[in-house]
Amino acid sequence: MLVNSTVIQKIMGEKVGRKVEVGEKILLPLDLVVMRDFGGPNVIKKYVEKFGEERPLDARKIAFTFDLHLPARQIKEAENQKACREFAKKYGIKVFDVNNGIGQHTLLENGMIKPGSVVIGTDSHMNLLGAANSFSTGVGTTDIVAGMRFGKTWFKVPETIKINVEGGLSKGVYAKDLILHIVKTLGSDGAAYKAVEFYGDIIEKMNLAARITMASMVTEMDGKISFFPMNDAAKEELRKYVSFDKVYNADGDAEYAEEYTIETPSSPQIACPHSPDNVKSIEEVEGVEINQAFIGSCTNGRLEDLREAAKILKGRKIKEGFRLIITPATINVAREAEERGYIKIFLEAGAIVTNPSCALCTIGHPGVLATGDATLSTSNRNFPGKIGKGSIYLCSPAVAAYSAIKGKIADPREVL
Amino acid sequence: MRGKVWKFGDDIDTDQIYPGAYLTVTDEDEMAKYAMTGVEGRENFADVVSKGDIIVAGKNFGCGSSREHAPMAIKKLGIACVIAKSFARIFYRNAINIGLPVIELKETDEINEGDELEVDVHEGVIKNLTTGKVYKAMPMGELERKIMEAGGLIEYLRGENEG
Ligand code: SF4
Repeated sequence: MLVNSTVIQKIMGEKVGRKVEVGEKILLPLDLVVMRDFGGPNVIKKYVEKFGEERPLDARKIAFTFDLHLPARQIKEAENQKACREFAKKYGIKVFDVNNGIGQHTLLENGMIKPGSVVIGTDSHMNLLGAANSFSTGVGTTDIVAGMRFGKTWFKVPETIKINVEGGLSKGVYAKDLILHIVKTLGSDGAAYKAVEFYGDIIEKMNLAARITMASMVTEMDGKISFFPMNDAAKEELRKYVSFDKVYNADGDAEYAEEYTIETPSSPQIACPHSPDNVKSIEEVEGVEINQAFIGSCTNGRLEDLREAAKILKGRKIKEGFRLIITPATINVAREAEERGYIKIFLEAGAIVTNPSCALCTIGHPGVLATGDATLSTSNRNFPGKIGKGSIYLCSPAVAAYSAIKGKIADPREVL
Repeated sequence: MRGKVWKFGDDIDTDQIYPGAYLTVTDEDEMAKYAMTGVEGRENFADVVSKGDIIVAGKNFGCGSSREHAPMAIKKLGIACVIAKSFARIFYRNAINIGLPVIELKETDEINEGDELEVDVHEGVIKNLTTGKVYKAMPMGELERKIMEAGGLIEYLRGENEG
């Protein structure tokens, strides 16, 4: 039934029980509809406006994930979260409250995402769940409201771009450097409306954390979703969180809109202000003065990311007057980081460790920048104004950690 | 449908379509007053357009934050459809979801402000009655057509549900 299909065609086709063609618009049943503390209140309002007291179709397929204002700082935020909690309680909807962390990661760790899951949510980086072989995407209020009440919404079957990665990753060069290099190569609209499939030896070997890092930045090429080969190691890693029978890999004769072969970069990559595709090798920006660094976000907030930072910070101190803010992606990550001694290393180095959340990915978190400030960030966007007045450089956790010691952009390979 | 053209450039973002200052407005009819008023020189847009008029723009219409106020304000103002070289993905989706017709057409440079267009949204045929030129855009898919005819996604799914 589902022959010569790309991964997205397979997942969508499975849901409607036939092969779907690229460009077709189809209604898809949804496995999960997700709202955050930001976005959720608008959804509730519209839901009540449209449906009054009518119940959502299936409360088990809806979730709130609070991940922005954890806990609320302003009365408005508190009111919004309260409204979400009350709505959820009324209909028996699960709330991952302020003590959990970033929504997508929380859903994953709680077994709510599996290969083939079709998920919509109010965050533009929902699609990082492509790393778990699921079709997840960020949508607007109307889609969420419709999804809650009717359990489905419409999609266009997207074209797919195939990216073959050649070469390995040398010491100090990570998935983040690779994806920054790819964003640079394809440009900020290089994957517009399209799905992306990654292949290559180095991709095959990537663990879930690295795949998530890659997948979360596909949005920065305007891509819809990205997928990775579901090999035995990937399956095993996912099974830590959820049980499933089936995975979705492309057929050998699947058709692609474009195909790229990309060499891995040989040194750490930095996205300079003010666009994620303004990427330079570290040699070109080494020495640029910075005042702050942030390690965390849905892109680089997992245990593996914190481990790389800990390796560098162990026994060292950050530069006097420098601000290093570290935020684990979820409460599970935080707990493990604590058990392994990373948190102690961070605190002894002089870092500020915050509770799990989206943290400094947005302006809604302590640590915003003053005019003229510059920060390194392991997040995914460096648009002007994103976290205040200053400028943002995107990088890997290792670059952020080592630069915090030096007070300027510095190459972590010096100490690795 | 037939209407007079209001012409806009490239990269008209949602903040120009619907300025952030009015995001707290919840009444959809009131939103109409602010449609396109963030575009320089169009501060009085709501006063000068007539029901059935058409917006024609360059590439990447509706880029920026994904506020649904943007297509809603345009729809409530009575704009019959938006034709652009390309749309930002989220704007396009939001427009369909609330029942505002949107058409992608490469040749929008050849259409001028004040031209009179005749548009068949379903077939994607656009006649410029002023210049005499006829354009063929992608016809609308069947599902989008149904959503549009129902007045938006929620109305469509409700109808489907009720049989
Ligand atoms: S870290 Fe940023 S991009 Fe990621 S989910 Fe949170 S707000 Fe969205």
